[in-house]
Amino acid sequence: MSGKIAFILTLRDDPKVQLMLRKLIFLVWISFLPVLGLAEVQSESMPPSIVLPAEANPHWVWVNDIVFHHMADGKSYLLDGDTGKFLGMLSTGLGFIALALPSDYAQIYSPETYFSRGTRGERTDVITFYDPRELKPTGEVIIPPKRFAAMPTLNYSALTDDDRFLMVYNFTPAQSISIVDLKERRFVGETDTGGCALVLPSGDRRFNMLCGDGSLLTVTLNDKGEVTNQQRNDPFFDPKTDWVTEKAVRWDDTWIFVSFNANVYPVDVSGKQPKPGKPWSLLSAAERKGSWRPGGIQHLALHEQSGKLYSLMHQGGDDTHKDPGQDVWVYDLKAKKQVQKIKLENLATSIQVSKDNNPLLFSIFIANPTLDIYSAGSGKHLRSVDEIGFTPTVLQTP
Amino acid sequence: MKWLDKFSENSARSIARQSSRRSFIARIGTLMVGTAVVPLLPVARASENSRPPAPTETGDPQSCDYWRYCAVDGFLCTCCGGSYSTCPPGTTVSPITWMGTCTNPVDGKDYIISYNDCCGKSSCGRCLCNTNKGDRPVYQPFLSNDINWCAGSAVDISYNCSTAVVLGLAVADS
Repeated sequence: MSGKIAFILTLRDDPKVQLMLRKLIFLVWISFLPVLGLAEVQSESMPPSIVLPAEANPHWVWVNDIVFHHMADGKSYLLDGDTGKFLGMLSTGLGFIALALPSDYAQIYSPETYFSRGTRGERTDVITFYDPRELKPTGEVIIPPKRFAAMPTLNYSALTDDDRFLMVYNFTPAQSISIVDLKERRFVGETDTGGCALVLPSGDRRFNMLCGDGSLLTVTLNDKGEVTNQQRNDPFFDPKTDWVTEKAVRWDDTWIFVSFNANVYPVDVSGKQPKPGKPWSLLSAAERKGSWRPGGIQHLALHEQSGKLYSLMHQGGDDTHKDPGQDVWVYDLKAKKQVQKIKLENLATSIQVSKDNNPLLFSIFIANPTLDIYSAGSGKHLRSVDEIGFTPTVLQTP
Repeated sequence: MKWLDKFSENSARSIARQSSRRSFIARIGTLMVGTAVVPLLPVARASENSRPPAPTETGDPQSCDYWRYCAVDGFLCTCCGGSYSTCPPGTTVSPITWMGTCTNPVDGKDYIISYNDCCGKSSCGRCLCNTNKGDRPVYQPFLSNDINWCAGSAVDISYNCSTAVVLGLAVADS
């Protein structure tokens, strides 16, 4: 017996036996892990795709991307400004400009262009309808293959004030407008608008266009969306000396145009005839002397309730009207007075403000796609989110 | 230019690799679709000679600083298999011209330059240049470099690159 014990003890000291024993103990130990609830990763089933909340958070922002180096592959990305979380995206075709977001956010409309062979073949232009919760296409309306292809602004297509009709600016280079009935999901018709561009809504059945001579064209629709009247009005600025940019923003019934030289041209569109207001300057004499001016792709943003205009500014000479800026100057539109200066973390070519009472300010630079998020009230930088697309252009908030 | 340095550091996708600091600044100011800018003089005022004497030129035609590109906006066809006056293989020229007026530093004369787009393929992606001299908003379309001028080509709006063709001497306003 003592011999057997001595043999076992000898075995126990053998390194090979020790290794085997350790392995055995380890196997026994891990076999109990699921029972003990200590497993770090359990097997998963693949759940359905994430569905976004039914109601949009006002601090969400859509970042539109023309993807300049691969223009057949336009995109729009949705982010949550409160967390910086990337929520989802849409694929939006060739030469993508911007979405159209109705006030109830029950649909997302997107004017898009596709070729049957990617970059060649038959061209089809559509208004695609997306479900804002699933970010899936739910339908489309084909429109004439004439949609304007250009560096994006938010004024190349727009909804009527009641969100019933969508107007799309065409350029072939003949100028016209396509109108879509969103309720009936049908193309209503196309109307020539020679000499005039952009779509600037001014009522449930009315919109304006900006013409080469510095005037506005007022276009009136009937309840079917058909054009019943077009009227050219007197020029409200001199297009030979002080060009207003295409990037006008709307404050209630007033369109706010800003010129290359930082002059503000308000136009009241509440009536059948647009009424230009008195122009005023964004700049003090000292600021003008310092060569400050607005610039960028989306250099203006507006906060409706507070009546504040946000203007992206830089210092530069003539022909710098599209240069990036790192300063946002804020104006009280009623007082026509500068009330705040915000220094951005990074250069930007586009700015946008959320629509709620505690608004966020968003900025992004087409050449460095990082979305910067600020408190619009204090100007404090809150967070940044990088790798947002390739050449982000215009920002939209629900 | 602090922001330029910051951009150089930060950009994961450098948009510009060609040419000098000045044009680099101009290029990243905005990226535009399509052609180029601004006719200080309309084409009708080009020299009556349909074939002007070829100007003597100096410089690098693959640089945004090259004199013909004073108002160009887009990818240079000279970097894309074409030249400043011909489209790359397999692309189609847009007959709708967009004009600028550039000064040739060799003879000090102003020339009208037509920045025809080459179309029918995806973006070339090389030598992106953008100068906004004389650029105007799109409601004055023939003065605006924001527009994709492939819209007027036989193959529609797939934009590949931009040329810079000398049309003639600019004639001063009388």
